[in-house]
Amino acid sequence: MDVEAKRIMALSISKLYSLRTQRGGLSLHRSLLLSLTVRAARDIYHTAQLLRDAEEEQVVPCAPDAAIEEPMEISNDSPQTLTPKEVAMKPQEPKETLEDDKENRCASERHSRKRCCKTAVEPDFLPLKKAKMDTDEEKQHLHGEVLRTNNGNSCRQAETLTAFPTNRAIVAC
Amino acid sequence: MAGAGGGGNDVQWCFSQVKGAIDDDVAEADIISTVEFNHSGELLATGDKGGRVVIFQQETENKSQPQCRSEYNVYSTFQSHEPEFDYLKSLEIEEKINKIRWLPQKNAAQFLLSTNDKTIKLWKISERDKRPEGYNLKEEDGRYRDAATITTLRVPVFRPMDLMVEASPRRVFANGHTYHINSISVNSDNETYLSADDLRINLWHLEITDRSFNVVDIKPANMEELTEVITAAEFHPHQCNTFVYSSSKGTIRLCDMRASALCDKHSKLFEEPEDPSNRSFFSEIISSISDVKFSHNGRYMMTRDYLSVKIWDLNMENRPVETYQVHEYLRSKLCSLYENDCIFDKFECCWNGNDSVVMTGSYNNFFRMLDRSQRRDVTLEASRESCKPRQVLKPRRVCAGGKRKKDEISVDSLDFNKKILHTAWHPQENIIAVATTNNLYIFQEKVN
Repeated sequence: MDVEAKRIMALSISKLYSLRTQRGGLSLHRSLLLSLTVRAARDIYHTAQLLRDAEEEQVVPCAPDAAIEEPMEISNDSPQTLTPKEVAMKPQEPKETLEDDKENRCASERHSRKRCCKTAVEPDFLPLKKAKMDTDEEKQHLHGEVLRTNNGNSCRQAETLTAFPTNRAIVAC
Repeated sequence: MAGAGGGGNDVQWCFSQVKGAIDDDVAEADIISTVEFNHSGELLATGDKGGRVVIFQQETENKSQPQCRSEYNVYSTFQSHEPEFDYLKSLEIEEKINKIRWLPQKNAAQFLLSTNDKTIKLWKISERDKRPEGYNLKEEDGRYRDAATITTLRVPVFRPMDLMVEASPRRVFANGHTYHINSISVNSDNETYLSADDLRINLWHLEITDRSFNVVDIKPANMEELTEVITAAEFHPHQCNTFVYSSSKGTIRLCDMRASALCDKHSKLFEEPEDPSNRSFFSEIISSISDVKFSHNGRYMMTRDYLSVKIWDLNMENRPVETYQVHEYLRSKLCSLYENDCIFDKFECCWNGNDSVVMTGSYNNFFRMLDRSQRRDVTLEASRESCKPRQVLKPRRVCAGGKRKKDEISVDSLDFNKKILHTAWHPQENIIAVATTNNLYIFQEKVN
């Protein structure tokens, strides 16, 4: 099930990116539907991951907390070297933060165990370091967008539309 | 003359005409994007991806041959929209005609609204069958006469000429929408109309192009919180204060403009609880409503989502009164349909003249007639193989699985590139227009 979820996530994100080059501009409706699908697939994937991790924890009960915390610190310090998913997530909901941690943890665990897999698993259509910068710019754009009293005549579509999908773009590695 | 009574299994449909190129190599500009009969049914308009509008006119009936129903022939063709470029956003604005809506006829001329993603235009289509002749200062070909040669004075007179149909843009309603326009709907007051994009609905006066009123705005302050968009909107056929809009979440909101100037708060919310057994990755996508249409009598409305058609009673908000499965056999194929983007196809639906039958399209050039009064449905096909004059259409059946019977087609053999998204039903008679990718099929009721 999580293999399917991962596949659908990757497929959805590639569709989101290909939307940008479409004639006629970004379709908000299509972007929204794709993002919702990514989220649904992500939720299923994480649930499967959690179940798997819970199983593993039972198998190796003495996995020290230090080992878990270390990679988390590493990941917090240098998010740019990881896959771009984590940079987009803001700690809005505590639940999401918890998921962040779990994601980071499993991501870094994977990295420590199988570093060579990173390039293989990570889809090559995703920007790596660019994501962090994009977030800052997008936040500014969004903020500016809200401030401008948009009566529908100031076509600020591009900023909001580029902001919208990538902030939600979550990729599992 | 047949009223538009039962269209399901009572009526036998037969081929009448097909318009468009025969070859399979379809030019993208020729892809039909909208089909609409006018209020009398005499005119049939189509819009295409290339921004063109083609209007067909029904010939006046041949009384001596009642079996031969009148045909639709090209009446006018014009370029409604051109591709534009928004330099500020570096975005191209497609010329594709998203919707055409006719205005009720008030005088000799016909008026229609056509829209692309950003701009709505009001077109006047008028006939000219006379021209003035006998000018004093000009020759018939337009050249000016030498003043010295003019010795007499005469009054120019109108003389008959070959019929010329002219289309001229009378109003251009621009810069009203940030997002892509998906619907336009003329109000029953014949003075105003609405246009809807993904997040907003504007109210326009037909005479005024430099401003419009925003009546619905569902844009969240923070775009990250966006959960649904507007997918279609329509005015009530009789109540000029009432309109509905559908959303990508499968809900329909009815708004009353008398309640407040801004209709962000709906008067009624139509929503059916989701069946948890049908939940999948793609539940959100397939519940998105692609079309909403009021019945002619104004008591019901119909919605189309990816797999079904639902009829709602305006007085009952918690569930539809009728639900019809269009192609339930696709439910197990949603993943493949997601991969090839077919799951995003926006099918339209339409009522017949007396609201007893509804019609919608499907894949493989199939379309479905759903008879409400007799609770029966039939699947028909628009294909070049059934193009003999007055050839009766045979019902088609899709085999969902298991043993395929004779004359059935299996789900895996369906051609998902051949989709019927746009259909229209004559307001009074049993004449239907069905658009395949680049052809327009006209079918009529078999007359014995």
